Amino acid sequence: MANLYVRAVMPTDLNRNTEWFTYPGVWTTYILILFFSWLVVLSVFGCSPGIAWTVVHLSHFVVTYQFFHWKKGTPFADDQGIYNRLTWWEQIDNGKQLTRNRKFLTVVPVVLYLIASHTTDYQHPMLFFNTLAVFVLVVAKFPHMHKVRIFGINADQ
Amino acid sequence: MITIPYLTALTTYFSYGLLFAFGQLRDFFRKIFDWWSHNSLQGYAPICLGLEDFYIRRLYLRIQDCFNRPICSSPDAWFDVVERVSNDYNKTLKRTTRVDRCLNLGSYNYLGFAAADEYCTPRVIESLKKFSASTCSTRVDGGTTTLHTELEECVANFVGKPAAVVFGMGYATNSAILPVLIGKGGLIISDSLNHNSIVNGARGSGATIRVFQHNTPSHLEKVLREQIAEGQPRTHRPWKKIFVVVEGIYSMEGELCQLPEIVSICKKYKAYVYLDEAHSIGAVGKSGRGVCDLLGVDTADVDIMMGTFTKSFGSCGGYIAGSKELIEFLKHSCPAHLYATSISPPAAQQIISSIKVILGEDGSSRGAQKLARIRENSNFFRSELQKMGFEVLGDNDSPVMPIMLYNPAKIPAFSRECLKRNVAVVTVAFPATPLLLARARICISAAHTREDLIKALEVISRVGDMVGVKYFPAEPKKQQLEGEGIKTD
Repeated sequence: MANLYVRAVMPTDLNRNTEWFTYPGVWTTYILILFFSWLVVLSVFGCSPGIAWTVVHLSHFVVTYQFFHWKKGTPFADDQGIYNRLTWWEQIDNGKQLTRNRKFLTVVPVVLYLIASHTTDYQHPMLFFNTLAVFVLVVAKFPHMHKVRIFGINADQ
Repeated sequence: MITIPYLTALTTYFSYGLLFAFGQLRDFFRKIFDWWSHNSLQGYAPICLGLEDFYIRRLYLRIQDCFNRPICSSPDAWFDVVERVSNDYNKTLKRTTRVDRCLNLGSYNYLGFAAADEYCTPRVIESLKKFSASTCSTRVDGGTTTLHTELEECVANFVGKPAAVVFGMGYATNSAILPVLIGKGGLIISDSLNHNSIVNGARGSGATIRVFQHNTPSHLEKVLREQIAEGQPRTHRPWKKIFVVVEGIYSMEGELCQLPEIVSICKKYKAYVYLDEAHSIGAVGKSGRGVCDLLGVDTADVDIMMGTFTKSFGSCGGYIAGSKELIEFLKHSCPAHLYATSISPPAAQQIISSIKVILGEDGSSRGAQKLARIRENSNFFRSELQKMGFEVLGDNDSPVMPIMLYNPAKIPAFSRECLKRNVAVVTVAFPATPLLLARARICISAAHTREDLIKALEVISRVGDMVGVKYFPAEPKKQQLEGEGIKTD
């Protein structure tokens, strides 16, 4: 494992906030973080695996909604604020829709939802919360929702 | 092409994720705390949005002592670094009176002109007495002295172009010239790793900007063909002019530009070539004339050559060299020429004297010796580092060598441990480099002796072992003995 090397080609993305997502190893890290947080939840709460997956799914929903679809702009001031109106989801791949990265990020919440509902045997109330979470996340990632602010929520002044 | 060990990539992402999570947590509690405590500035808008300086507050300030270190001597091969202490976990740093004598691996001192030189310094002091420290005027008002005209001729001769114009600051040269040369309706195609000054100048010009993959002439051709076929955005009219902006040596990679291929592609599609030789002028090439000399490109093929005097000439300022008509035009319309103070006379004299030394016109062969020494030093250092197992970027003959660190925790570890052993290195992280690819950048100088380099190698090897940055297997010494054995057979 120590001798496994990957080659990284410099991407042409000028937006330093999103170009880190084009390097090799991101997808694996994402999946590994989800898996390890499931293990952590299991060990801390000592609950059943289904409840643990539900907890992971819902906290994943909160975290990714906050950072991908709510927070706008970039965490540094070098780019003089040209991305200040765009959320991270709208910034990646320079706004191009349906790229590989976007498809991957849309599939992950759906897979998590399926795992969480399967391991809780589709019982209420977990099923309701899980379905709500995956619905919100997947709709937020639709190409038609690019730069759309429903009812002016999260729009600029 | 950078080769990353896969496990390192995963752990780097995880480390940045952890740092980001802790930063967000601290911000969250800070917001609650601030909401509780009474703020005296009611009704004023905040100076910056909370998200904008997140990186500075939560990541950069933690390792602030590795950057911006003050020095108190001239940046020669050995220099004095001021020690700083912090009482509040690096939020503020206070200078002490203690000073460390360290080996300088960070200054752009390629030919050793940064310290007192036996030919240059007396002449600089003379010109300081004659012309005083500043012209106190712009070039068009009263700031053009005989030194300035002599300097422009000297630079034009050195670079191999008919005429040149000189400005007081290298960054301002790029950011003030690009808006003058090209405007709305033009196209700038720049390398993806170009310097911030070029990016700022291109943004300020109002032209459309497209980026091609770093140092890949085939991708440049693809982008050119696509853009010429499409024309201007929305109207699809042909472009007014097309500029391709590349650098001679990329300061963060140490790589040379693939100039012959790029120039031939630009000739084919009739685009102008703008070459930024900030790091390569004076440091590479048989007579030090830069990357055109080294790669055998005719200077008449490169339309605009830009460079700075900070790196190889031990001075400050920048120049643009091109045809006589271009320079006349720039002198009439560039704001850096019309409104900015002209370059300081002692600095101009330093450039003239150092160019004379490089060309051998001072009557000695010190210039040729310096050029040979920097080439030898760079090749020796790079091959030794690679033998030890470090991942070093850059081409042969390039005096800039970045050592890849990747992990954010290794940046301060490497920097502090090297400083403890009296070697000063510059570490570079996000956002100057991509997020994953943090590195320690070493700049070799002709002023470094072989003993200095060997000491540096020992220290870096020791620190590299401690920090764990030897990503490649080291070449075993046994191989050399085996090779000798085969030869004697």
